[in-house]
Amino acid sequence: MTVSPSAFITGAVSLITGLGVTIKAFFQPVVTSQYPRQLLNISPRFRGHTKLLADKDNLGKNGCIACGICVRNCPSGSIKSAEGEKREGEKRKTATTYILDYTTCSQCGICVESCPSDCLAFSADFNAAGFKREDFYYDLVKEFEKRKNAS
Amino acid sequence: MVESIKTELGAALQGVEIAEANYLERGYHLSLEVASGELLNAARFFDERGFYLAAIVCVDYREYLELVYLFANHASLCKVKVTLKVDPAKPVAPTISAIFDCAYWHEREIREFYGVLFDGHPNMTYLFLHDGIDFYPLRKEQIPVTDDDKRALGSFRPGEGEDTFFVNLGPQHPSTHGVLRVVLKMDGEYIEEAQPVLGYLHRMHEKMAENRSYLQFLPNTGRMDYLGPMAFNLGYVTAVERLCGIPVPDRANCVRVIATELNRISSHLLWLGAYLADLGALTPFLFVFDDREQINDILEGITGSRLTYCYFRFGGLYNDVEEAFIAGTKAFIERMRSRFSLYEKLVGGNVIFINRTRGIGVITKERARKQAVSGPVLRGAGIPMDMRKTEPCAAYGEMDFDVPVGTRGDALDIYHVRIREMENALKIIEQALARLPEGPVMAEKAPKKLKPPKGDLYHTVETPRGELGIYIVSDESDKPYRMKWRVPSFSNLMIFPELAKGNLLADAVAILGSLDLVIPEIDR
Amino acid sequence: MEQIVNMIGRETLKTIVGLIGVLVFVVFNALILTWAERKVAGHMQRRIGPKEVGPYGLIQPIADAIKLLGKEILTPREVDRPLYYLAPILIFVPVLVSFIVIPFDASLQVKDINVGILVILAFSSLSVFSILMAGWGSNNKYALIGAIRSVAQNIAYEIPLLLALLPVIMMANSFSLKTIVEAQKGLWFVVYQPLAFCIYFISAVAETNRTPFDLPEAESELVAGYHTEYSGMRFALFFLAEYTNIFIVSAIAVTFFLGGYQGPFLPGIIWFLLKSYLLVFVIIWLRWTYPRVRFDQLLNVSWKALIPLAFINLLITGGLLKL
Repeated sequence: MTVSPSAFITGAVSLITGLGVTIKAFFQPVVTSQYPRQLLNISPRFRGHTKLLADKDNLGKNGCIACGICVRNCPSGSIKSAEGEKREGEKRKTATTYILDYTTCSQCGICVESCPSDCLAFSADFNAAGFKREDFYYDLVKEFEKRKNAS
Repeated sequence: MVESIKTELGAALQGVEIAEANYLERGYHLSLEVASGELLNAARFFDERGFYLAAIVCVDYREYLELVYLFANHASLCKVKVTLKVDPAKPVAPTISAIFDCAYWHEREIREFYGVLFDGHPNMTYLFLHDGIDFYPLRKEQIPVTDDDKRALGSFRPGEGEDTFFVNLGPQHPSTHGVLRVVLKMDGEYIEEAQPVLGYLHRMHEKMAENRSYLQFLPNTGRMDYLGPMAFNLGYVTAVERLCGIPVPDRANCVRVIATELNRISSHLLWLGAYLADLGALTPFLFVFDDREQINDILEGITGSRLTYCYFRFGGLYNDVEEAFIAGTKAFIERMRSRFSLYEKLVGGNVIFINRTRGIGVITKERARKQAVSGPVLRGAGIPMDMRKTEPCAAYGEMDFDVPVGTRGDALDIYHVRIREMENALKIIEQALARLPEGPVMAEKAPKKLKPPKGDLYHTVETPRGELGIYIVSDESDKPYRMKWRVPSFSNLMIFPELAKGNLLADAVAILGSLDLVIPEIDR
Repeated sequence: MEQIVNMIGRETLKTIVGLIGVLVFVVFNALILTWAERKVAGHMQRRIGPKEVGPYGLIQPIADAIKLLGKEILTPREVDRPLYYLAPILIFVPVLVSFIVIPFDASLQVKDINVGILVILAFSSLSVFSILMAGWGSNNKYALIGAIRSVAQNIAYEIPLLLALLPVIMMANSFSLKTIVEAQKGLWFVVYQPLAFCIYFISAVAETNRTPFDLPEAESELVAGYHTEYSGMRFALFFLAEYTNIFIVSAIAVTFFLGGYQGPFLPGIIWFLLKSYLLVFVIIWLRWTYPRVRFDQLLNVSWKALIPLAFINLLITGGLLKL
């Protein structure tokens, strides 16, 4: 290992420049945000679990017609069942249960895109936590009713 | 080039019919079927003319197994498909691992997935799987793995010498970034032999593809390379579009380029941080995350997710971009340009960093070709090969950018190539933003249910790690008959054993880091 | 009271009280340093660091210590038990002994031995011994490689360390730390011996196994080096020793080159701690800036650069003193 004086000097200078970068950063303000005390804005396109939207003509009920297209299209088989009943005076069925197994869902959005009645959307629910798998078997119809009652 | 290869090939292999293929539809120019005895001659022919072996694919057609050898050239665009039919009842084929070193790994993979025995192969043992597997997973019928086969496949046992010992680098090791395991035979701190053991994250994406419709497989692509999912998405959707002939609107093409390049920068940034962490400096890791967050925010704004994006669709995009995306991207370009000097001061110019990486893991052009490495590793070795230039998909053809290359082929060169690639990616994004046309982002005539015409396609794109090749065989149904993913990290890992040999353990870590491996992509 | 003092003897009592004081200081120092390291690292990386436990996260190290205490003390099945058990205890001995002779203030010194520096250097070479015991006893290849690296590194860096201190000893004409500090009444020795100071400081960083010379515990190569197999309180002891060592090498640098406890206005102890922790800050600063050097480079730096330079420096100093 023979080091020429010029190489030695550039080396030493590079080491000092490096120290300069970190000490400068030391006195600069922090860039992190302090979750959970400080929440970030969630992008409007954020993909949480899917949710049912209201029927366009009748905002009081969910728009799912229980056609089963999303059940067939889901790559992971996460949508367990979408069943509905035909109510009196209506042309189409209305979903009574819509079970989503969120543990296997990969939020690809194929169900959202393939829905013929455009009644599926992503929710902004990001901090789901639970102790067992069953906590993540969501019944989206129930969830829809809950949201409706809350508003 | 294609014409001359065809005539020379005809002269070299008498009696073999050489068909010209429609490159735009098939992704290769020439195809020929050889008999078992002529395979080695064909391989030698391509070796002499400077071709590299992109991939070996096995396809099970039930009546016969077909081995597909895909040869390509670094210097000019010329791809040749060589096929060899193998008896499914007793599948044996000659090995070409003596001619193309990378075949060593591809053949091992085919051995355990299809049961094809490669005559003369030095090490026909498990690469991904283990002896709990009772049948060959990629065969169309359930073919059991016999006990004899299991014994042969499981015969890899490291033998310690008098002065050597074995160290398992991984599967849980801080510098393998995931679950890669490398068995190192060490003499003190020097590595005598390195043997990667894969499969800790093996999910058999290729089999999954055979059981899902084309659309349903789309989310899988982002989960192979979780650091560069946009490029994998792009490769897959463009491959299927090419297969089905779906046109894509201009606006969608431009957005695809922007999103992919942003993702490339974020991938390279993460590599930079992780590499420095491998070398013992932890601060750059946090600095790059600062930059990376900006990209994540931008991409989350259009895709809705921060890691495994699933944004491109056959014929266009999931949804259109907004003004906020364009403004955010412009602001990011501004910011990123000013950050390079910071990285140069903290990392690139640092004498310790330079001494740790200069002359380490030197890859010569010849070895790069034989091992079929790609991406920044290949360009670090001095070969200006970039799929974005040679086979541009989306709007890459209209972009003006440089392909940075190294001169020595060592880890330091690869570092510089990646940094300059980020600069060029910014350049591409800027151009794409400038020419972003108005209009739809989804093709009007995109079919709801995809049933591609019969045939095969080898489609390549440049991911942050190198050449991603997707070989699709369609049988006119809505599911692919066979889909092979020639992933860049797998090919780049192949060169690691020879680079590590004779080096210090610390150098092995530096070399492994410079290859920028993503393990889920290797294991698929 | 007087009787007890007389019975035990004044000197012995002073030593006992001093030792207790040193133990308290060692723990306190380690707590402060873990907090400081995380806080400095945080801000150098543009983040906050610990902040939840106590104001500015000051109680965080105590929470960590309680966590470590509460952990089950695991012993891997294949370890060499006597060595494995002894190593974390033994690593502590040289650390404690070093404190005895360090003059914190003109009167604040447990014992002024006339060969003070020799005691420190002699005992600090012992820590290699316990690292080797830990590495060998763990029966783990990573730990063993780490221990072997540590031995080679410590041998290589002890020599320039000593050679860098020698000129100061020659100038002060004494091995006693107190005398050396007193000799710096006028000008600090760093003014006369800048080269020796640099050599000492580089060697000291290497001696304490800190980045860029943290090869024995290089986490990206050796997982955790010689203490890979240690957990809970045993691990904490290694940790404690490491942080105490950082303080000791800084304290010696202050004593030898930066005028020790001397300084205007403030009491000596404040000056001493201020200077020492400033050097500690520099050591932390280095860690969060540089990558790690390679093993052969590390040894090359010592044998081919630091040792010859230290010898030249020693010769010149000797020559000038003679004149």
